[in-house]
Amino acid sequence: MIPLLILTPLILLAALGAVWKARPVHAALLLALTLALNAILYLVLSADFIGLIQFMVYVGAVAVLIVFSLLITRPGDEAEEIARRPRSLVTGLACSLPVLAVMLFIVSRFENAGQAVADARSVSIEQLGTTLFTTHAPAVMAVGVLLTAVMIGAALFAREPGKKTQTPSDS
Amino acid sequence: MNQNTTIERLPAPRKPGRWSIPGWGLLQGLAVTGRNMVESYYKKERMTTIQYPEERAPISPNFRNFPFLVYDTDPAADLRCTACSICEKECPPQCIYIVLDRDENGKSLKRPKVFDIDLSVCMNCGICAEVCPFDSIYMDGEYELSTDDRFGGLLFGLDRLAKSADYHMKLRPEQATEVMARRKAEEEKKAAAAAAKLAKAKADAEAKAKAAAEVKTEEKGESE
Amino acid sequence: MSLLAVQFAPFPQITREALPLLPKTLVEWLLAGFGAPEWLVLIAGFLVAAATVVGVFAGGFALLSLVERKTLARAQNRIGPNRAGWFGILQPVADGIKMLTKEDIVPAKAEKLLHLLAPIMIVVPSILALGVIPYGREWIPVPLELGLLFFFAVGAMTEVSIFMAGWASGSKFPMLGAMRAISQMVSYELPLMICALGVVMVSGTLSLPDIVDKQGGFHLGFIPAWNLFTPWGLVAGLLFYVCSIAEANRCPFDLPEGESEIVAGHMTEYSGFKYALFFMGEYLGLFAISGLGITLFLGGWQAPLPGLDFVPSWIWFFAKLCAVIFSFLWIRATFPRVRIDQLMRFAWLCMIPMALLTLPAAAIWHFTGRGFLSWVVTVPLLLIPWVIITVIYNKRLAPTLRTYHFAE
Repeated sequence: MIPLLILTPLILLAALGAVWKARPVHAALLLALTLALNAILYLVLSADFIGLIQFMVYVGAVAVLIVFSLLITRPGDEAEEIARRPRSLVTGLACSLPVLAVMLFIVSRFENAGQAVADARSVSIEQLGTTLFTTHAPAVMAVGVLLTAVMIGAALFAREPGKKTQTPSDS
Repeated sequence: MNQNTTIERLPAPRKPGRWSIPGWGLLQGLAVTGRNMVESYYKKERMTTIQYPEERAPISPNFRNFPFLVYDTDPAADLRCTACSICEKECPPQCIYIVLDRDENGKSLKRPKVFDIDLSVCMNCGICAEVCPFDSIYMDGEYELSTDDRFGGLLFGLDRLAKSADYHMKLRPEQATEVMARRKAEEEKKAAAAAAKLAKAKADAEAKAKAAAEVKTEEKGESE
Repeated sequence: MSLLAVQFAPFPQITREALPLLPKTLVEWLLAGFGAPEWLVLIAGFLVAAATVVGVFAGGFALLSLVERKTLARAQNRIGPNRAGWFGILQPVADGIKMLTKEDIVPAKAEKLLHLLAPIMIVVPSILALGVIPYGREWIPVPLELGLLFFFAVGAMTEVSIFMAGWASGSKFPMLGAMRAISQMVSYELPLMICALGVVMVSGTLSLPDIVDKQGGFHLGFIPAWNLFTPWGLVAGLLFYVCSIAEANRCPFDLPEGESEIVAGHMTEYSGFKYALFFMGEYLGLFAISGLGITLFLGGWQAPLPGLDFVPSWIWFFAKLCAVIFSFLWIRATFPRVRIDQLMRFAWLCMIPMALLTLPAAAIWHFTGRGFLSWVVTVPLLLIPWVIITVIYNKRLAPTLRTYHFAE
């Protein structure tokens, strides 16, 4: 319980900072911090595998992707401040409040959530793998198809228009 | 690279596009450095490092650094410099300072009382050595002159600048032998000229005495 | 904990295998004898074990910095540092003193907090990664069931911290260097993980001590059953080796920190102790990834020949580590630096297809009985695409002979 009590406000603070910070790079790094703290949350809940994967994928790939795109598109970041006041408070609330309501509804449906957390046991990799590839195999295949489509799209994007294949310069 | 190193020539690379073992060039490169690693321990011509200050690199005879003054045998009496100040006037950065030594009557003693060279100004051009008419200033080859006194330690006076002709011979043998030969020839020429002059004066005196004697006998003959 | 309650249990016997655990055993025995509570003994034991590992590898880092300079020097026909003590043995001490006493310069346009945090965040993952590698039969600091995954997860932290180092310095060279460094690290992490995946598939476990255990035994009486001596293992091991050079930012993949290219890349604006931390993080990362490669492919602490079991296992591990690091040094002394586009092309067009091929090769090898037949079936599967890739490379990408129009 105590780790959860420590982690939750940290996660909330980091997430708020990621949304509110004026400079994009700070926001990106705080997003990475939020994701890292989420990974620690999973580890506390004895979901070792998913916690480490969260670290590896989200912090190691997604956050790096975001900061990389920041690096490329803003090579000389001169503290471009993003206006803190939201453009339209009404639209923002209209979009986020229903999501919050749905999440609270789902969370309230869990009975004995505290007990479930205390009873959490880590699952062995074999079990995880077997379940993933037998019970949830269609989902895995759908994700595979999606990723293939993404890669093909990225390769098409990266190609220069008009040329068949890019001949490399010699040496 | 000293004269003893051999340059290894690798075989020419194969034309690309043909079939070649991938990575073969990499292995060849690894073999070269591997050979270096092993052979640098026992082959002297590979290890070209000169470990200063235990060893010193040999300097070429044309290496020049700051000037020095030459004396033949005795630094006080035999200094070749006559304080003519030609080098002082010709020096581009004006780093030489000469004061002529005069006796109590003001007559020049043809030697310098003060001869200072500021090493922090000297640019090692060698013009002073080129223009000296008395073979007295030449370029030295000493490079270990570092000091911790930025002003006084780099101002060399007569005591530090005067070095013997033997030192000159050891430093630049070709140039020194040529200078010594030229000076010896000049001295011999001077001695020969002085001897000839002496002989001529003696002959003149004899002729004069003979003429005087003849006049005297003529006068004596007439009076009788 | 009073001195009156001193009651020492008999000192546990230290075998040669457990010799590196001596500090931990000693501290635990002392504390238990003085009547310390359980939790204190436990925590003290962990701390001492961690301190042992960090101490050994920090000492190794200091020694490596000297050995590297001397080996590079010998490969270049010159003597390395030999002034600072007999054969330069005190050179790392001199370097350490120099780094510590240097002025710590932070550029005016730098982000102070991130600039300070970045070197720390580069050293921490390397030290964490060193904790899960099995160094000996009984010496593994943290025996995790998901050890391999943990290793790659903390490696992910390095990339974010390189970005922080580059961006927080606030000037062009670090940002360019960080961009290149991150793209290089991300590109080369893919083949790294795919090769490790092959090993996991065959060993059936993510736990590093178990992977080493499964590489015990000998084929034909004298060939060790290491993963390197299998067809897919050869390819995967070689790919892992090349990727680990790239991950550690070492020559020939040291574009992010090559002096003639980009000053010092993301480390440009760092001086003094922070630079020393970067340096240490890089070398400790090198130790960690070589250790992982040895664990996955070279059999970890297993002896190479049947009769050599009397030598303690951790000596075998460190001998293999020395050999691998020496090969890294040799490669550094030999090869020129790879350009960024050549680097990326090599990773994406050559290494990832070959790495992906090791996965079905490993599966086929396993399901055809791991014997002679498996070799016959998997070697063509790996060799033919390699030949095709090489031919394509040679024909299209190799440099053509230059013709000089005016110089002849």
